[in-house]
Amino acid sequence: MSFIPVIKSEFPASLLQSSESHDHSDADLIQSLVFQAWLNEKFSPELMENKSELVECVMEQLTHMEENLQRVRKGDVKASVHRMEIDRIRFVLSSYLRSRLQKIERFFPHVLEKEKSRADGDPSFLSPEEFAFAKEFLANTEVYLRNVALKHMPPNLQSIDMLKAVPEPCLDSFVFLRVKERQENILVEPETDEQREYVVDLDKGSQHLMRYRTIAPLVASGAVQLI
Amino acid sequence: MDPAEVEFLAEKEMVKIIPNFSLDKIYLIGGDLGPFNPGLPVEVPVWLALNLKQRQKCRIVPPEWMDTDKLEEIREQERKLDTFTPIPSLYYMELTKLLLNHSADNIPKADEIRTLVKDIWDTRVAKLRLSADSFISQQEAHAQLDNLTLMEINTTRSFLLDSLNYMYKLRSNLQPGRSQDY
Repeated sequence: MSFIPVIKSEFPASLLQSSESHDHSDADLIQSLVFQAWLNEKFSPELMENKSELVECVMEQLTHMEENLQRVRKGDVKASVHRMEIDRIRFVLSSYLRSRLQKIERFFPHVLEKEKSRADGDPSFLSPEEFAFAKEFLANTEVYLRNVALKHMPPNLQSIDMLKAVPEPCLDSFVFLRVKERQENILVEPETDEQREYVVDLDKGSQHLMRYRTIAPLVASGAVQLI
Repeated sequence: MDPAEVEFLAEKEMVKIIPNFSLDKIYLIGGDLGPFNPGLPVEVPVWLALNLKQRQKCRIVPPEWMDTDKLEEIREQERKLDTFTPIPSLYYMELTKLLLNHSADNIPKADEIRTLVKDIWDTRVAKLRLSADSFISQQEAHAQLDNLTLMEINTTRSFLLDSLNYMYKLRSNLQPGRSQDY
């Protein structure tokens, strides 16, 4: 019995960037997108844009494959190969979701503020589940702080502004990156007062070390990959 | 990032094996593999090659660059130049370790290869330490590091990035502003 992954027509069109309609290249694309999203989320100082379409697609593939595996007798060589691959992809996916949750817990007021202030047409930064988690986390933290400390303070000091209390993500952190599409005239800001700012060109395939702030839009668009 | 995670990424690389069993094509989520015929070479990802080797179902063919002459050349190049020479595989360290640990019997002159790769690694990491040191002391804002592999970057990642971030915070603390991440 052969296990064939979910066929191409079920992949959301937005995930397919190449115009070639070939099962294998699409399947490989999905897997490399997951790995890229995992690495970007791991190394970026702020919460990246939500990739719920990709996550759902991969979950669908995994459950489809698992169902197939249930129907086959144990000890089949093919089944063990598929199972190993499923475990690998599951690890990447869990690690990706865990990084996102860690960042949500660390920056929860800012994440919620960003979500509230985005326009209706823009893609959301949080999946519905993550949004619910962030709101609950905020509510629980407020209740906790109130019960443990705030209610014992004098009345005029009993409020707390979460946006000021919780530090923001530091977008000026340094990151390592690899360039996927050539970029020109990226501004490099000076570290000290004596230096002046200068521009660099990023060639395809080169690797660099620089501040996250200037290249943040390039990471979001996929032109560079954090490593 | 854990070195184990870097190794996890390295395991996606393809390597040639010679199976001793037969199996028709497997349609994995990440692409197709096979068909497998005894005695005929086929390309599979390293994670699968290692597993099959452990179950004694295949022989692993070492990659082209895993050869004493080539590696000696690379080592000489590396020792001569101050910059990082291009190396044949982005994951040379991980692949050497994995393949030599699990299938040293399939690889000729395994011990020599191990020593050569270790020498190359030591030279490169020493160069990396020097350039990281000068990066910090000259307070540069940008560095280009082509030809560096992920495993090498990973050895200095936490130290270098954290120090650069703290230095930035110390400098920018002179300006009033919103609370920053500590």
